[in-house]
Amino acid sequence: MQAHELLDILTRAPADAVKRFAEDLLPRLEPVEVLRNRTGLAMLPFRETAQASTFYLGEILLAEAHVRVAGVEGYAACLGRDLEQALALALIDAAHRAGIAGPAIADFARTQAADLAETDEALMRAVGQTRVDLETF
Amino acid sequence: MAYVAARGGEAAILQSEQLHQLLNAPLSLATVRMIEASLPYLVDRVMGEGSLYAPELAALALAQTGGDLYEAVLLLRAYRSTQPRLAYAEPVTQTELLTVRRISASFKDIPGGQILGPSLDYSHRLLRLDLLDQDNQAHSASAPPAATVSSDAPVDEVPPSYDPSPLAVADWQRSEGLLAAVPEVPLTDPASLPDLTREPADFPAPRAHRLQALARADTGGVLALGYASMRGYGLAHPTVNELRLAYADVRLRHPVTGEAFSIGRVRVSQCEVVDTQATELRLGYTATLGWNEVKCIAGAMLDLEMDAPQPHPAHSEEFVLYHTEPVEASGFCIHYKLPHYVTFQSGLDALRDARATAADTPTEPGDAQ
Repeated sequence: MQAHELLDILTRAPADAVKRFAEDLLPRLEPVEVLRNRTGLAMLPFRETAQASTFYLGEILLAEAHVRVAGVEGYAACLGRDLEQALALALIDAAHRAGIAGPAIADFARTQAADLAETDEALMRAVGQTRVDLETF
Repeated sequence: MAYVAARGGEAAILQSEQLHQLLNAPLSLATVRMIEASLPYLVDRVMGEGSLYAPELAALALAQTGGDLYEAVLLLRAYRSTQPRLAYAEPVTQTELLTVRRISASFKDIPGGQILGPSLDYSHRLLRLDLLDQDNQAHSASAPPAATVSSDAPVDEVPPSYDPSPLAVADWQRSEGLLAAVPEVPLTDPASLPDLTREPADFPAPRAHRLQALARADTGGVLALGYASMRGYGLAHPTVNELRLAYADVRLRHPVTGEAFSIGRVRVSQCEVVDTQATELRLGYTATLGWNEVKCIAGAMLDLEMDAPQPHPAHSEEFVLYHTEPVEASGFCIHYKLPHYVTFQSGLDALRDARATAADTPTEPGDAQ
């Protein structure tokens, strides 16, 4: 699993589950150096469909963390202001790229990915059922 | 206009704040969570006008202000000003949206189909009085169910052709030769776009400024001006080409690997309107953070109007963009509540002087006629 794929999944996974997993992982990661852990904003550019121009739709509140574990840097950000969630994600990112607890991380990510896919599929099923065939008289 | 400082009334001000809190529901975490879960469209509106996607904080702002929208938007904008800008996300394109609602009022048979999605468009507008008639105790004891997405329908009933990222209606029209092709513009460096939060609008505004201003505009203001256009003060008579509610992934570049990854999904809405009265089809467009259909439809109509050679004065770009900025407009309005004693006294003095001068001036014969 690529690093960006792992983050794609875990940033949408329940924050509590991610924090618990990182907490369990922590003894294998010490010492951890936290380079940054803060909240801030990201501008969100959006491509319009009328004239194909790009503009800022608005700003997104995020929490980010940048850590170093066993000489490998890890980084993550998530929506909102949960600094612990961002830190947990960054630790998992660092561990994954440092080759620490690879199988456990992969298992955890697969489980979360399956849950997310199930939620998305249920949503898409519900949306698909609202497709309407209109007739004119 | 000159201002002077005023002093006094500290105890009354503190009491006034306490009375405001007393007359509202107690501010609690449970209230904030309830607002976020049960009033998502209101939360979306505050985020859209606050130009900050932060559902938890928007719900807090609503709880803290007792639901005063302009105060809530101001709180969100004020919070935003305390936060550093850390990143520019990757541009969101139409094909990446997870679309849950997509309809066209112009074309019945659009590729991908008409998807009603979550909507009350065709529902009876009747109050559910039966809810109020339930036993109060039983009603309050049963907490509302958590918002979950579920579908009892078997998978094989799902239309197999449903695509959560359907082709934009405008792109389909271009492929049919109904709309002029737009030049392929390479994705702009996200950090180089004109940004209203860093530089004031100048007119005529760059398109990026116009669309950013509409995205953060006051829903009521956009609706009022857009409605004036719809009623006949405008020059365009468009229909909705496509209205879309969707989720968009916010993708950042990993500072170590350089690869883009999603930090989560946000709710977005957008609308295209098409003017068929002109010699060629013309599109108007607006998008915003959160799901807000009225603002997107009215904003898209104003986008068309602002491009007209001689629009109604209330539909000129400068008029629309200046007067739909929610914080500036509401702030200017409510500043009139604050002490203007010196200003008024000055006006009163001038009025008295004018009257005295008029009384002292001898009347010429014939003036009274």
